[in-house]
Amino acid sequence: MPAPRRILFHWSFLIVAALIPLIELVLPGHPRIGDLLRPIFIMAMLGLGLNILTGFTGQLNLGVAAFMAVGAYSYAILTCDIYPFRLGFWSATALTVLVGLTVGLFLGLPTIRLRGDYLAIVTLGFGEIVEDVLKNLDSITKGTQGINPLPGPSWFGYHFHAETYQPWYYLFLGFLAVLVLLNRNLQRSRVGRAWISIREDELASSCMGVNPMKMKLLAFALGAAQCSLAGALWASYLGSSGEPGNYDFQVSIIALCIVIVGGMGNVGGVLLGALVIMGFNSIVLETVTNFLKAHQLISSSNVFTAPGNWKYMLYGLALILMMRFRPEGLLPSRQFKAEVHPNEPHSPPTS
Amino acid sequence: MNILEISDLTVRFGGLTAVNSVSLDIPAKEIVSVIGPNGAGKTTLFNAITGIYDPTNGRICFNGEEARRPFRWTTALTLALVGLIAGLSLVLIVNVEPLWDTAITSNYTYQQTFLWSNAVSAASNYFGELPIQRFVVPFLIGGLVGLAGALAIWHRTRRAPEVAARAGIARTFQNIRLFNQMTALDNVLLGMDSQLRTSVWHAALRLPLYWRERDEAVQRAMDILRFVDLDRDANQLAENLSYGHQRRLEIARALAMQPRLLLLDEPAAGMNPAEAQELMKLIHDIRDRGITVLLIEHHMQVVMGISDHIAVLDHGEKIAEGNPEAVRSNPKVIEAYLGKES
Repeated sequence: MPAPRRILFHWSFLIVAALIPLIELVLPGHPRIGDLLRPIFIMAMLGLGLNILTGFTGQLNLGVAAFMAVGAYSYAILTCDIYPFRLGFWSATALTVLVGLTVGLFLGLPTIRLRGDYLAIVTLGFGEIVEDVLKNLDSITKGTQGINPLPGPSWFGYHFHAETYQPWYYLFLGFLAVLVLLNRNLQRSRVGRAWISIREDELASSCMGVNPMKMKLLAFALGAAQCSLAGALWASYLGSSGEPGNYDFQVSIIALCIVIVGGMGNVGGVLLGALVIMGFNSIVLETVTNFLKAHQLISSSNVFTAPGNWKYMLYGLALILMMRFRPEGLLPSRQFKAEVHPNEPHSPPTS
Repeated sequence: MNILEISDLTVRFGGLTAVNSVSLDIPAKEIVSVIGPNGAGKTTLFNAITGIYDPTNGRICFNGEEARRPFRWTTALTLALVGLIAGLSLVLIVNVEPLWDTAITSNYTYQQTFLWSNAVSAASNYFGELPIQRFVVPFLIGGLVGLAGALAIWHRTRRAPEVAARAGIARTFQNIRLFNQMTALDNVLLGMDSQLRTSVWHAALRLPLYWRERDEAVQRAMDILRFVDLDRDANQLAENLSYGHQRRLEIARALAMQPRLLLLDEPAAGMNPAEAQELMKLIHDIRDRGITVLLIEHHMQVVMGISDHIAVLDHGEKIAEGNPEAVRSNPKVIEAYLGKES
């Protein structure tokens, strides 16, 4: 068992996160922090999916946005009432995860023997292909309009509305918490160990009896499934599949930034990365812009003075600085301290 | 009884013959050394035994059979299935839009009940009237590409390192290849991977099997670390260990696989005489556990001290074989190492 203090530490995060919609009622001005956190949760899920592939297994994937698009569009097709399926939120989400799993396998199988840059190029191409297919498969995906409107989820007779965000907040928090738990469990098991060993040294790993092809395929399938779950939740939150352009290369790169800035191969790091990168985007930039506007320091006619337009420039700068001063990320994967202390006699489990 | 029989092994890289028709029998539960000048083909021999290189010619029999994936009916079935799925996928991709229109769109009016039977019959009608170029051609192309790809991957991984490892051949590397970002304990636990039965589901949901197996595995891994005297460093990252400890950890990781044959590639490289003595004792202990040890070594003190049997390679060919005394006095060996007297 991990030390009780560590468990307490982790639970306290969840409790604070659960209290945020209540805290903001007390704060002056009732800031909608929870509302701003929702897209961060979604991107954190996307980052977790990519982390399995790139962080644990070391397979650079530049096309995770495509998995997200597959998830969003499958969810939209399964729930929207212009199609005959009209499933509910839960069954549609479950099916979407299965679709993501299959798509991950389909991309993983032909690329099974590719490594490093070559795999990155193939996944980059895959991202572009999916976007183009969605644009051009008019009768199924409605081309560039996207599929809408989608019905909101419901939970024991309660229907989610766009106006009240709190139920959404808890829904996403719940999904994120479950994903974090599953990812950590996997990381600390035989599966995670095999993934990390492939990242460290694939040849040595196979000489120890690990089948690298099988483990890479598994990483592809599970990573894609998580990304498509993020896509499905994103679509249900937007009430629309979004247009294909929403799932372009930029989204993949932001997901990669989240993993790199947070700390490759560390679940907690990915969460922090999502908070930093997305929080910078939707909270810091927004606040600065509003502040400057309120004090008439910028004019809307001059595009160079709006901080939002410098976004990618600032991302780039942040990445360069990270690579120079802290290449291992903000929260690097601290190898899980082995749970058995060598100096203590080991007691067998009581059964 | 011989645990490993290498007969007429040749490994060629383009025009370079690294190992040239070498035959070697390794008796079980003995310590056998392979020596020779640099570039003699010793590591290539090891790589061929562990499935990293495919032999150009010759056979490597471990326990009386070649360590490679057998061709069973399940293999054929899997290959056929991959081809079938690839072919059907391409047919679907080629026809997806008209198929969707006939089966789904034309049978559904907004918010009315949708009859699946109509959709299925429309779809089967569609396929029935399909012109040949939209069905047979994509099916054949997809099927052939899928089958060929699957066959190529199967063939190229037939003699993969993991197959040799699972058959019971463990090894260490000339330049240490530990998993640097993993702890010593995790390195050893990874060596046990093929003996664990925890599946993804057990691991993700932490079902009882996970806990049971983890406790057993950690206990065994600690035993192995104790055997190589590294139990105090169990929680250290492998990259933070000293050189000698890394060498021992690599042996521990190999032992965790419960191998029947252990290949050590220059285990004493860079060790001082005292460390070399310790290493010799360790190798003796390993042999006493019933594990056959095959080692490459340049340290003549170690080689002559522990080997039951020595084979000498030079320029990819075996030039001598026998017990330490016979090899030491063999004129061919002296010539290979010191050059010919003129």
